[in-house]
Amino acid sequence: MDAQPVLAVLARALEEARLEAILIGNMAAALHGAPVSTVDVDFFFRKTRGNLKKLKEVAGTLRASILRPYYPASGLFRLQRDEDALQVDFMSAIDGVGSFERVRSRAKRLAMGGHELLVADLEDIIASKKAAGRSKDKAVLDILRVTLDETKRAQQSRTRGTPEGK
Amino acid sequence: MKRSGLNKAEREALRKESERALRELIRKRLALPVEKRLNCLRKKVGLRATCL
Repeated sequence: MDAQPVLAVLARALEEARLEAILIGNMAAALHGAPVSTVDVDFFFRKTRGNLKKLKEVAGTLRASILRPYYPASGLFRLQRDEDALQVDFMSAIDGVGSFERVRSRAKRLAMGGHELLVADLEDIIASKKAAGRSKDKAVLDILRVTLDETKRAQQSRTRGTPEGK
Repeated sequence: MKRSGLNKAEREALRKESERALRELIRKRLALPVEKRLNCLRKKVGLRATCL
């Protein structure tokens, strides 16, 4: 299923609520060109009183409910929309990547449906998957590493002016 | 553990071919604009199943 309309709606909702959140996980990896799939959309955010209010606004815009699944380490807030089973996870702690500020400083701003979306750097996504260490994370690690390698090659060939993949 | 029936050279050739196919797929995706790389959301079907 094409995630572009979903991401465009999310980017608009985040912008309207002025909630700063960084797209991470397999959805972000797909934007970097990795051939992976996912059932949810993951965001990294700062858990402050103000941001929790903004998160409620985002949930309202999406007509979704906020759930608190019991994953104590990640500080997870899950937005779930019953009509189409959309699942958007907001995490305040992600192993292996350091602080929110550090991830933000390396993130890319991408345009999505006329709105801006902060997308985590592929190296940070790899670090988070490595630290999580679940079998579903390990399963995609090699794909993400090859994607990172191909991205670097493509950048090098662009700077050298040679065709990509050579 | 069940043996694959392939010798070391055959396994290595299969590994190389898998990696070549993966790299080719990634290069095709990198050549697309960002918003065209997003056929990645799996829809939940029933209680446990998902589909693209």
